[in-house]
Amino acid sequence: MNLNTEAQKNNTYDAIVVGTGISGGWAAKELTEKGLKTLVLERGRMVKHPDYPTATKDPWEFENADRPTQHDLERQGVQNRTGYTIKQSTKHWFVDDVDNPYSETKRFDWMRGYHVGGRSITWGRQSYRLGDMDFGANAKDGVAVDWPVRYAEMSPWYDYVEQYIGVSGSVEGLPQLPDGKFLPPMELTCVELDLKKSMKEKFGRALTIGRTAHLTAPLAHSPQRGTCQFRNLCSRGCPYGAYFSSLSSTLVAAEKTGNMTLRPNSIVHGLIYDEKKGKATGVRIQDAETGEQTEFYANVIFLCASTFGSTSIMLNSISDRFPNGFGNDSGELGCNIMDHHLNVGASGEIAGFEDKYLSGRRANGFYIPRYRNVANDKRDYLRGFGYQGGGSRQGWQRMVAELSIGKELKDAAMAPGMWSIGMGGFGEILPYHENKVTLNKDKKDKYGLPTLTFDAEIKENEIRMRKDMQNDAAEMLEAAGAKNIRSHNGAYGPGLGIHEMGTARMGKDPKTSVLNKFNQVHACKNVFVTDGSFMTSAACVNPSLTYMAFTARAVDHAVSELKKGNI
Amino acid sequence: MNRREALQRAGLVLGYAVSAPVLAGILNGCKAQPELTYKPVFFNEDQAGLISEVAEIIIPRTDTPGAKDTGVPGFIDQILRECYKKEDQDRFMAGLKAFDEGAKSSMGDSFMGLDPAKQQEYVKKVHDEAIAAKIDPKERPFILMVKELTVVGFFTSKPGATQVLQYEAVPGAFHGCLPLAEVGKTWATS
Repeated sequence: MNLNTEAQKNNTYDAIVVGTGISGGWAAKELTEKGLKTLVLERGRMVKHPDYPTATKDPWEFENADRPTQHDLERQGVQNRTGYTIKQSTKHWFVDDVDNPYSETKRFDWMRGYHVGGRSITWGRQSYRLGDMDFGANAKDGVAVDWPVRYAEMSPWYDYVEQYIGVSGSVEGLPQLPDGKFLPPMELTCVELDLKKSMKEKFGRALTIGRTAHLTAPLAHSPQRGTCQFRNLCSRGCPYGAYFSSLSSTLVAAEKTGNMTLRPNSIVHGLIYDEKKGKATGVRIQDAETGEQTEFYANVIFLCASTFGSTSIMLNSISDRFPNGFGNDSGELGCNIMDHHLNVGASGEIAGFEDKYLSGRRANGFYIPRYRNVANDKRDYLRGFGYQGGGSRQGWQRMVAELSIGKELKDAAMAPGMWSIGMGGFGEILPYHENKVTLNKDKKDKYGLPTLTFDAEIKENEIRMRKDMQNDAAEMLEAAGAKNIRSHNGAYGPGLGIHEMGTARMGKDPKTSVLNKFNQVHACKNVFVTDGSFMTSAACVNPSLTYMAFTARAVDHAVSELKKGNI
Repeated sequence: MNRREALQRAGLVLGYAVSAPVLAGILNGCKAQPELTYKPVFFNEDQAGLISEVAEIIIPRTDTPGAKDTGVPGFIDQILRECYKKEDQDRFMAGLKAFDEGAKSSMGDSFMGLDPAKQQEYVKKVHDEAIAAKIDPKERPFILMVKELTVVGFFTSKPGATQVLQYEAVPGAFHGCLPLAEVGKTWATS
């Protein structure tokens, strides 16, 4: 009895954070800086900044020119569906699909890595704010449920997280894409500047440099982080700490407080719910290495395990009070899966800049903010899309299809090829109740834990939007004088955008949503969910910045509620 | 064998004036075959010899290193073995056989039996026909599969990236629109 009490005491913290990615890192930083003793649980292995094994390797140091082997694909074939993630230089940041299986009723691409830092190591770093157009979209269109917040409420939180992580970008004054607190923008290339001019003149549309979480100037509050070196090897991990990751930034801040206990190899598989208190009292974990089961306790719990990670934990947390999954009174838990649909756009060659070239490798491109269904524009579908693209000169890769061989080939390769511009759309997916993920207790993973089954698809609204995404791109390139324009509208499986969202949405009404406006579970106020699962609609912009802003705000609310004794 | 080992081996072999296989060829009274710069695993010795010569014709040694100097033949052997699906390996090997048979029918001897000028002529002919046919990259015929692997292997090697092209491990800055004359050659990485 005494032993048990002692164990319970040792395993008790003020707060528990599940996950160490974008959201978990922020929750850890904010909670520990506010003085809470915080246990941070990560299901994967330990990674410490700047220990990124491939980060400084040159191209010739990789086997097989960095391509995946057949053996790699046997283990990580699903993770390779992106076509760019499973390489010798990056494959260690993605799960082994054989050990971590899932089921897909329809094609579903679930791209993820299990390690400290999560996908904050491999994320695309593009950082945009949702605006009033986005927060008001569901109400205006009568789709799903209304967001319980508006931009004015979120704006200071966006300011706060942007200034902390460092976002490079350019102020544009567009109503549909709020500006932020930016570090100096990166340069556009010759042909991108040309396209920008033609788009403004011929279409009245904007083109801006990508807003990206890279330091283009030092940050006084994060002296451990250096500025961007323009190597464009980001997804290997940045030894300079130049782009934001939880490893280089938020977890460093949390560690510094002395209030963080970070426990890797800790697979959370359930929340402990106390019926009498009407609260969650802790979490159950399984040690990934030893299989040992342990319980940890805290006053407040932040689920930041990624959209499907958190949803999976909640679906697996069954009690008399919550027979259908934790906090699932509404029946919406696991529903409304969203992503951004992509793999549609165009490319073309641009003449007239043959005497120009570039130097350095910019891990960023241009951004064309949404213009469809904005102001007076009306389409036969709801919402819209933005484009991300880049314009540069072709390299040696073009030699394969060119006529020269021998000395001629070597000589030709030494001169850069044509300038070309490519752009791809990121389209908003509506929240459909029937796009869902469920727990599969019949199929277990390597750890003997239940797996997930996905059943989601894009529908008529997205398919119509894709026609515009394809045609508009070609049309804008044509207007800019591009030649050999090729447009594409390729296969897309939900998840491929790696922006999964929505399976524990926030809303005003507990009958139709899982979380309230502060990311609190409606039915259990000391549990907060702040990863992508809270998203009520997807907007068309990259979502991570929004997760950060909501996480910081949720912690602020949680600590204030703790102090008031409300949770 | 990694690229460094391949290069080291190539260097070692090249260091000898007359190496064992060449010597054996002379003793046997045969036409001297170019020696292999690596130990093939996927290919047999004959196939490896053919691949080496074709790769060197595609990217020869000039005032800068060529395909053999940079370990390209060994790279092709390894990438076919480790990265290609069985059906693609089979397609490659069938293409190799047809390529050699084509040499017999159109040039009068197996590829390795041709003198270097004839080898070059034959590679150029087959290559130019393949380019003109504008075949989908997924259906690339043998000669373009070898060309692709040679180009990839060569320009991702240190000499290819740093002597033929230019490479900067840590650029430190990005400039999006500079006079080409100021920048110089094609960058090895983007």
